[in-house]
Amino acid sequence: MALSGMRGLSVFISDIRNCPNKEQERLRVDKELGNVRTRFKNEKGLSPYEKKKYVWKMLYIYMLGYDVDFGHMEAVSLISAPKYPEKQVGYIVTACLLNENHDFLRLAINTVRNDIIGRNETFQCLALTMVGNIGGRDFAESLAPDVQKLLISSSARPLVRKKAALCLLRLYRKNPDVVNVDGWADRMAQLLDERDLGVLTSSMSLLVALVSNNHEAYWSCLPKCVKTLERLARNQDVPQEYTYYGIPSPWLQVKTMRALQYFPTIEDPNTRRSLFEVLQRILMGTDVVKNVNKNNASHAVLFEALALVMHLDAEKEMMSQCVALLGKFIAVREPNIRYLGLENMSRMLLVTDVQDIIKRHQAQIITSLKDPDISIRRRALDLLYGMCDVTNAKDIVEEILQYLSTAEFAMREELSLKAAILAEKFAPDLSWYVDVILQLIDKAGDFVSDDIWFRVVQFVTNNEDLQPYAAAKAREYLDKPAIHETMVKVSAYLIGEFGHLLARRPGCSPKELFSIIHEKLPTVSSSTIPILLSTYAKLLMHTQPPEPELQNLVWAIFNKYESCIDAEIQQRAVEYFALSRKGAALMDILAEMPKFPERQSSLIKKAEDIEVDTAEQSAIKLRALQQTSNALVVTDQRPANGTPPVLGRVMVPSMSSNVDHHVADQGLSQENGTLTTVDPQPPSADLLVDLLGPLAIEGPPSADVQPQQNIVSGVEGVPNAVEATAIVPVGEQTNSVQPIGSVAERFQALCVKDSGVLYEDPYIQIGIKAEWRAHQGRLVLFLGNKNTNPLLSVQAIILPPSHLKLELSLVPETIPPRAQVQCPLEIVNLRPSRDVAVLDFSYKFGNDMVNCKLRLPAVLSKFLQPIPVSAEEFFPQWRSLSGPPLKLQEVVRGVKPMPLLDMANLFNSLRLMVSPGLDPNPNNLVASTTFYSESTRAMLCLARIETDPADRTQLRLTVASGDPTLTFELKEFIKEQLVSIPTASRAPAPAPPAPQPTSPPAAALTDDPGALLAGLL
Amino acid sequence: MIRSVMVMNTQGKPRLAKFYDFQTVEKQQELIRSVFGVLCSRAENVSNFLDAASIFGPDSSLVYKHYATLYFVLVFDSSENELAMLDLIQVFVETLDKCFKNVCELDIVFNYSKIHTILDEMIFGGQVLETSSTELVKAVEEISRLESASNSITLVPKSVSGWRNR
Repeated sequence: MALSGMRGLSVFISDIRNCPNKEQERLRVDKELGNVRTRFKNEKGLSPYEKKKYVWKMLYIYMLGYDVDFGHMEAVSLISAPKYPEKQVGYIVTACLLNENHDFLRLAINTVRNDIIGRNETFQCLALTMVGNIGGRDFAESLAPDVQKLLISSSARPLVRKKAALCLLRLYRKNPDVVNVDGWADRMAQLLDERDLGVLTSSMSLLVALVSNNHEAYWSCLPKCVKTLERLARNQDVPQEYTYYGIPSPWLQVKTMRALQYFPTIEDPNTRRSLFEVLQRILMGTDVVKNVNKNNASHAVLFEALALVMHLDAEKEMMSQCVALLGKFIAVREPNIRYLGLENMSRMLLVTDVQDIIKRHQAQIITSLKDPDISIRRRALDLLYGMCDVTNAKDIVEEILQYLSTAEFAMREELSLKAAILAEKFAPDLSWYVDVILQLIDKAGDFVSDDIWFRVVQFVTNNEDLQPYAAAKAREYLDKPAIHETMVKVSAYLIGEFGHLLARRPGCSPKELFSIIHEKLPTVSSSTIPILLSTYAKLLMHTQPPEPELQNLVWAIFNKYESCIDAEIQQRAVEYFALSRKGAALMDILAEMPKFPERQSSLIKKAEDIEVDTAEQSAIKLRALQQTSNALVVTDQRPANGTPPVLGRVMVPSMSSNVDHHVADQGLSQENGTLTTVDPQPPSADLLVDLLGPLAIEGPPSADVQPQQNIVSGVEGVPNAVEATAIVPVGEQTNSVQPIGSVAERFQALCVKDSGVLYEDPYIQIGIKAEWRAHQGRLVLFLGNKNTNPLLSVQAIILPPSHLKLELSLVPETIPPRAQVQCPLEIVNLRPSRDVAVLDFSYKFGNDMVNCKLRLPAVLSKFLQPIPVSAEEFFPQWRSLSGPPLKLQEVVRGVKPMPLLDMANLFNSLRLMVSPGLDPNPNNLVASTTFYSESTRAMLCLARIETDPADRTQLRLTVASGDPTLTFELKEFIKEQLVSIPTASRAPAPAPPAPQPTSPPAAALTDDPGALLAGLL
Repeated sequence: MIRSVMVMNTQGKPRLAKFYDFQTVEKQQELIRSVFGVLCSRAENVSNFLDAASIFGPDSSLVYKHYATLYFVLVFDSSENELAMLDLIQVFVETLDKCFKNVCELDIVFNYSKIHTILDEMIFGGQVLETSSTELVKAVEEISRLESASNSITLVPKSVSGWRNR
């Protein structure tokens, strides 16, 4: 190897190596720096070689971790040296020592530019390397155009051009606003024709950067990428030096497939086909071989191909092939392949429909959780976390818990957080959730954040059924010899609140509970003592009649802490002492904690925050984002004190206030349903209601009622809820679950689009996705439980109008916590009618029975298919349909005024295609469409609107079709849309009864259950 | 994008450190130390991948390869393919081997400037510039020809490595 060395540098390095310790090293470095400094001061006497030597020494010192705060100017000035060696060292050192904002760099710009546009290729290379490594804004502004020229220059050697490509890429990445790449699409396409693989690799990197920013402009490059990939995969025209362990440039293959992933899809069928052929070849043709390097290279290509297949939404068959491959990988011996197999399987989870296939590998993934390599264990944990759902939560969480005891500290926090989140999200029953969290605290207390135990307390407080169980569990843990402080906190809290529910169980008398908790007091820190004091106070309160012995013990403790230096402890001690002497009044103040408002788990929030990905968003990530946005998130819809608690009064849903009006209004209600709630207890979320609730139930003045109840409940082990329901006469306290958002507006929106939310309240979200083809439709209801409790007695009944044939698949009776159920609904349109189907939906949450009737957006316009017509087609047709009943005309008044353009948009959104310019009068609109039903088959419908520019509130509407009913129904339908533009809440001015329509709506009211209901609303 | 290239020995001494986003000298040392802290606890026969997010922030991965007394480390973001980065380390080492004939740690210590030159021909501003070790050797030879053409400095003989071996 003929690289020249520098003796002085070698000697210095040797000296450093011979230093016995860090001190000596520092002395040696300081000496050298001093030496260099003096030599630089007297610059005249330095030969270029010496300069070079000293600058390298500085760089070496810099790498060792010593700041070199001088000599920068010397380094920069070397750049302008005429000879190669000095110039070279000037460039290299400048790139290493200076950051992009350094002032000296400006001084060098001119020299750098001269080098770039000059004829000396070696100088060009040096300059490009420095600019590319630093990539500052000043450089971008003054040098980018020259670099661009160099890249496409036909005379420059590949060695220069590949550097120019990457230099441009770096400048563009750092300053996209400065580097002008308009019109670069064609140049990029040309660059991709390059034969030299070195230049092609760099150009491909540049393409990735450009495409990730704006794929639209670079469609022309897509086929070229596929060609390049074909060339490599088939090993055509690949020189030997670019074949790495028998594989044609794996880097270029990988980069090309990366570039392809930034295009959202591949539309051209030929390109798509040839790409899939290549991908298939890669997927099938890769084997695990003995040579590690060959293995790595071939799998680099393979994994990139997998990513591309996922991105392209390949056919299910190919996807399952990919999962099968990954399944094979996660079981091989080669650890790198195992690692990547798990990582890619996690990515695969984002692809729909393959989750079930992935679940088949669960056992193997769990084995990977015990892999000797922490990197692999981490990936396995991520994957398990991602693939967990209601069906496998128990298995997965228990595995994680088991692993927790042996896991290294570095992973325990993550493990316990993930276990807690999964337990909360997918608990099949709540007692299991409590078990998991308590085990978690027991096994990894140090790593369990406060959020986790706060959450379990919230759950127990909000679920009466759970309270005795949780208290009993807490009691069990207290028996253990050494428990974690967090466990002391949780147990003390639970025993204080719910310990009385354990009365008469062995070892659970108030005194026993007290002493076992008090045993822990000497071991805990001052943050736990306040919790213990509250527990004592609560135990005292629950002990009725009071036990003097216990009282004295507790009072003594309060006395002791009255002078505690910790203000929190002191205050509690003083207050509890005073309160506990108040006797019965203690009841009111120390009564059970109110329920917590339902809110998004801070844990889950935390996890979501962590998951925010900073990487450039490829399409697959975008898709994942969309998926999560469909997912259910429990939001705090009920402000804690927002709605005034109205006890004993029926809360009428606000929207039904205009019921009368709607009944009067042509039979079709504007509202999508009302809610009737049979609700013996106020819903748990409202804090004020909760606080008042128990008082109302127990009769405020005589607090001594409660102890009896408690004793009763203790004896029978019946949770409080049962008593409460028994005491309160059903129906006296009725409250309603309020829908979130306007139901009517949601319906209106769904009339003009095919997916969206139909209904939402704090417990459930009903989404809809529909597909319409001719006279048939398929509508899927997505019933999503937003809570961590199951929704029970779920019932969905469809009340179909006579013109629709509806078949709803089975709706499960229970929707598990945070689960989403899909119920497809098949629809056939028999004949034209504008009646609507109604979904009668009810469920039970806790004690709330919620029932709502919702209009389904299977409206007339869904069976329309817009069709363009020319003037030659329109007019003969229009004339041939002459007069009633095939052609109906009506003057509509009370129309919501809107510009003609908006009206045209409204028509188009209702699938009536407006043909602009067909009507010679610019104030008129002409529209055409095809209507499909079983009785009419496909039938052309024509409509014409004549507006009066002087009075926008009235117009003349003419509708014509080959079927009298269709003509009438369509005319009425259009009229409804015109007089009640989606803002339904503002009641439209009722149209004065038009002369023409007789009263078929009224007739429909009587024989059609759907319409009947809609009419009643 | 590749964020950093590091070469360090099994005692944690840096032999080469290049950061493609500017880092202060203190930060550089801290990063090198943290990476070494994780590397030295890795067993043999485990994967070549490490979670780098805790050291380099989100969206960063790390691959490393252990050769005799040296660790070669690449840190990069999600726009790069992990195995391709591992291959790149192999190319780097093979190129060094071609340049120094049975490269050892001392070659790297005493030919600090040449290692920089080779690296600059392979990785450019955080992007892969050249992947063929044949091409790399060609480029480096051309540079050394240029260097020796303009000054006649004696070569450091390979024996220098044995010459002051402590």
